[in-house]
Amino acid sequence: MFGWTGNILRVDLTQKTFRKETFSEEFAHKWVGGRGFALKTLWDELEPGIDPLGPKNKFIVALGPIAGIPAPNTGKTVVAAKSPLTGGYGDGNLGTRVTEQLRKAGYDMLIVEGAASEPTLLYIEDDKVKFLPAAEVWGKGTYATNDWIYERYGRKAGVLNIGQGGENLNLYATVRSLEGRSGGRPGMGAVMGSKKLKAIVVKGSKPIPQADPDKMKKLGAADLRTVHEMDKKSGWSIQATTGILAWCNEVAALPVRNMRKTRHSDAWKIDGERLDDARIATYGCPTCTMHCGIAIRDHEGRESELDYENIGMLGSNLEVFELDQVGSLNYLCDDYGLDTISAGGVLGFYADAIDRGHVAGDFRFGDGERAKELLRLAALREGDVGNMLADGSMRMARKIGRGSEAYAMHVKGLEVSAYNCKLCPGMALSFGTSPIGAHHKEAWVITFELNQTVRDSYGRDKAEKVIELQRIRGGLFEYIIACRFPWVEVGWELEHYPIYFNTITGLHWTLDDFWKVGDRIYALMKFFWLREMPDWSRKMDYPPMAWFDSANADTDGPIAGKVLDLEKYDGLLDHYYDLRGWDKRGIPTRRTATALGLDDEARQAEAFGRLED
Amino acid sequence: MKVTVKMIGAFVHAAGFSERTFDLALGTTTDELLEIVKIEKSRPMIVARNGQAVTPGEKLEDGDRVVVAPTFSGG
Repeated sequence: MFGWTGNILRVDLTQKTFRKETFSEEFAHKWVGGRGFALKTLWDELEPGIDPLGPKNKFIVALGPIAGIPAPNTGKTVVAAKSPLTGGYGDGNLGTRVTEQLRKAGYDMLIVEGAASEPTLLYIEDDKVKFLPAAEVWGKGTYATNDWIYERYGRKAGVLNIGQGGENLNLYATVRSLEGRSGGRPGMGAVMGSKKLKAIVVKGSKPIPQADPDKMKKLGAADLRTVHEMDKKSGWSIQATTGILAWCNEVAALPVRNMRKTRHSDAWKIDGERLDDARIATYGCPTCTMHCGIAIRDHEGRESELDYENIGMLGSNLEVFELDQVGSLNYLCDDYGLDTISAGGVLGFYADAIDRGHVAGDFRFGDGERAKELLRLAALREGDVGNMLADGSMRMARKIGRGSEAYAMHVKGLEVSAYNCKLCPGMALSFGTSPIGAHHKEAWVITFELNQTVRDSYGRDKAEKVIELQRIRGGLFEYIIACRFPWVEVGWELEHYPIYFNTITGLHWTLDDFWKVGDRIYALMKFFWLREMPDWSRKMDYPPMAWFDSANADTDGPIAGKVLDLEKYDGLLDHYYDLRGWDKRGIPTRRTATALGLDDEARQAEAFGRLED
Repeated sequence: MKVTVKMIGAFVHAAGFSERTFDLALGTTTDELLEIVKIEKSRPMIVARNGQAVTPGEKLEDGDRVVVAPTFSGG
């Protein structure tokens, strides 16, 4: 078998044992890697209903067949577990040297089981595994931890670590790597923290098995140059993802004031142009051709690396329009190891609830200094406020009550990314049907919607586009594992990816083969939800109710007086389910399961809820 | 008539300005405006007028705000 090492490293932190396992060619071809490997493993191995922060949960690091190969933007790794934030399958990807190092150590997947009794650093070097003490850095932020690791193992080692957020089981704690990389929004850092796993360090020295390594080397080197040139020609990296803030502000889709508003006259102060002006450094992931991380000096003089989601959720959504203060909030999230999107959503919800008199508190929109202190409380779970903020907006709303659930901006418990869909039905559908909660990575349909369709329409074309993008973004790029930016931002054609895959594996796959894998993964993620939540209903695929509330409509601008229509959204959701071959609840039918090779999984799912024919 | 043009991303460098108000002849279309601001029409872009996507050949009106942005596909 070429393309895959064929090996899994299984580690038990409770017993401090490990073993090397193999996986079959059938498993490789059916699930490919990354999200596919992680999902199938968690489906097969987790007991339904387990505590995501207990020792029975498993933390998975999964790679794909092109991960770590020198080709455009292949430096990504998937981290996954049952999510403590949503209760469903959770994952995320991040750029890290672990990608290449774990593959060179001879593994396509790492499964971490049990829980250590003391803070632990898991050290992997080829066939060696060590359980090392990490008490010295327990309680420290990710930057200090990273430096501590670099001093001991060198800067070329692959590193995943957590900050105080993960240690204290903040439910939106992420996994961190390198200087600014972060992944696993649905609390993957908290799962590491629950296992007292402060860091994973990986070094590898073996060749990655490839069917035609010479061809891949030439192809990869040429394509790395080409995509880099395409980026330079287009000028995308000048503002990178942050350019979108100004556009969102112009078209009334910017998150402002807990998404109550869609535009703000001060938005320009934190936009891509200002960020480019303030730039002191630029960062990217391993094998990156188009670096997207723009670093600036924050209010305290530290280096803070920003992208659009950071300035959208920690800036405009909190009405903090001092760029250096947004930089500070971002730095703190990165150092504590908190997801910036959820942190911005949580603080926005808190300020909104205080504004409405639904909860007592002293935080106001625009107060960057107080926001910094609240991030500290949330990361450390300090006091009643810190504990409440650490649980995410869904649980906060349940606690606060008084109708606040309507403006807690989350789907399935995961806070909405920085696109305000008050009048973007297709993007709302994308958030609603995202299987891990409201994440933009699954299907970013908003520019298609606003430029190629009637904005206020709920037609089948929008559902078709969401599925098309989910197959590419939430599918292909999450299991073959590569960054989507070369395709999505500078037009690097998708056809390159089957070429890489076939050159490495010796197979002859087409894009259609990949789409089927993506559909299989999306179907199994829905079975995962059914297993964890037998009373699942289609309402779990609804976006936040605030977007349907006419009292929440803009009073001026391009979408004045308009909001989403719930009845029409239901129709759009019906189109989506119909196209996917799912029933009216949003659960795959038996027929769909059979077509996707999921008969066994369907039978297992039926123990938790009926499946329609 | 007065029309304000806002450039985003690489178009700031291509046009040489970030935001500027132009005095245009009545009946000027969005395509003609792109020629005036020296943006090649072959370049991938999204153009919005008063927050709404423009249709080809759309005529501008006094007080309009036009935004020219790269074809973002999304973060």
